[in-house]
Amino acid sequence: MSSRFDTEGGRIFGVRTDLVEQFVNTVRRDLKAKIGVVIVTLFLLAAIFAPELAPYDPMAQDFAPLQAPALSSETPLGTDSFGRDLLSRLMYGARISLGVGLGAVLFGAITGVLLGLVAGFYGGWVDDLLMRSVDVMWAFPWLLIAIMLVSIFGQGVWNVIIAVGFAYIDDFARITRGEVLSIREEEYMLAAESVGLGDLEIIFEEVFPNTVAPIIVQFTVLVARAMLAEATLSFLGLGVKPSTPTWGSLLGQGRDFITQAWWISILPGVLIMITVLGINLFGDALRDAFDVREVDSE
Amino acid sequence: MGLREYLLKRLVHSVFVMLFVVTVVFAAVRSIPGDPARLMLGGDVDTATLEALRAELGLNQPLYIQYFRWLRRLLTGDLGESIRTGEPVLGSIVQVAGPTLSIAALGMVIALVIAIPTGIISAVKRYEIEDYLSTTIAFFGISMPAFWIGIVLVLVIGVNVESIPTFGYTPIDEGISPWFRSILLPSFAVGFPYGGILMRMMRSSMLEVLNEDYMRTARAKGLSSNLVLFKHGLQNALIPVVTLAGIFLAVVLGGVVAVEIVFGIRGLGRLLIGSINRRDFPLIQGTVLLIAFVFVLANIVVDLLYTMINPRIKYGGGD
Repeated sequence: MSSRFDTEGGRIFGVRTDLVEQFVNTVRRDLKAKIGVVIVTLFLLAAIFAPELAPYDPMAQDFAPLQAPALSSETPLGTDSFGRDLLSRLMYGARISLGVGLGAVLFGAITGVLLGLVAGFYGGWVDDLLMRSVDVMWAFPWLLIAIMLVSIFGQGVWNVIIAVGFAYIDDFARITRGEVLSIREEEYMLAAESVGLGDLEIIFEEVFPNTVAPIIVQFTVLVARAMLAEATLSFLGLGVKPSTPTWGSLLGQGRDFITQAWWISILPGVLIMITVLGINLFGDALRDAFDVREVDSE
Repeated sequence: MGLREYLLKRLVHSVFVMLFVVTVVFAAVRSIPGDPARLMLGGDVDTATLEALRAELGLNQPLYIQYFRWLRRLLTGDLGESIRTGEPVLGSIVQVAGPTLSIAALGMVIALVIAIPTGIISAVKRYEIEDYLSTTIAFFGISMPAFWIGIVLVLVIGVNVESIPTFGYTPIDEGISPWFRSILLPSFAVGFPYGGILMRMMRSSMLEVLNEDYMRTARAKGLSSNLVLFKHGLQNALIPVVTLAGIFLAVVLGGVVAVEIVFGIRGLGRLLIGSINRRDFPLIQGTVLLIAFVFVLANIVVDLLYTMINPRIKYGGGD
């Protein structure tokens, strides 16, 4: 355990290189981790290069509507009710689904980590005030709040990102604070203080890099959850604009044709499942690699 | 800290959670661009009618007075009236709460029935075929949106099994069996992902307990290993699972909203989405508040269960 608190060794962008090394070792040994890495990489690439890779314009109504998937045809995954190519729509959909998932957790992580760092570092009434507010957020039916926020402030990528990401602030705040409290007592903190480093310098140069491992793990797990939340919002017609293809909205539109054209609803769901599964496997591998405990109820 | 004091503290905490929900909902609805009165009347109206309605709604008062008046009304159980139908919000919600609560309850039961045994087996037979099988299924469970499981069930079961309906809800007073059959598939859709989460918790919690010193001692003393497991281990392993089961009730409630749409069930989810589409704000805020209230209540119940399972718990302290 003590090795986690080492400040020795190289860093890339503040992240200790030994974490990267540990992760690579885990992936090498563990099949589950390999599957996770492959899935996550594939889907990220498909999303990033959708404009280059997608065979057609996702909005073009070029084909006969409701064609079944046939790998040899022009439209290997079939078409929707407007005659749009489903493969292209799914590839563009990956951009929104993954992007909103990542964005929402990033929003939650930045806000939560800052709160947790400040609370843990300063302690006293600052800690009390911040953590009590965060406690209140813990017991909260967030999807409903997200639904309400989107319905009031309107649909759009940023609104969905914030509505979904709000729920994750408390997770990050709690984890960061816990880590800060446990490393505050370490000797190098005393050393840093005695050399006369300022608060901000100590927080960002010494404390933050050592809280990184559990935060990365939590980040991964929550991206999976955020993608499910985005899918649910889009399915309900409350996600990013209805005309934009996302996995959730494709699934929702397909529901009206479920008896004639099952593939419109089933394929996006399969993609959601595979991606989320991949991210969860990836997260488990990170957890093993960094030796982070699963459930922290306090 | 004694039991009483602890429960009191939790109760006060719940009051704060509720107050926070109320404030967020108030702030959100009040920040809607435009004038609620104009929104309610819609289209062209003369200023006199508009002013009259504004006065009636108290919109001409300062914001903090509106807030406290609203709080006072809430305390008496008055959630206002629907803009569209003019009916009391509370009444409209109670009318459709039956299906939602039925699905959520059966969903939780299904989740626990799946999660607890498989979690225990997985932990006891760690790294054996039983463990790999159940953790894989749990992994799939946590990776699927509940409403999509619902769609797959409609396609697979709906087509092949006639006795299980895939559309609509039958109230319980029309018979237990029709009621049960009408909520079976939606409950499974909601319960399966939740079961996956709980199973993983049960497994890791059980593994931890199995490694405790007192478990080894008990085994060394020659107690038969099954008895040891159930008497000593289970009680302790259940504690974190029960605590978090309450928290994850939010997952279930969130899931029910979308699952109701899939199965064409007129419940709270349908009501909420419908009121959003019609921009019926009193109904939106009432539904969100009531669900949040149920959620907070459920957490108090979980707290009570928690203290019952483990009478020797140390309350609070240890930060």
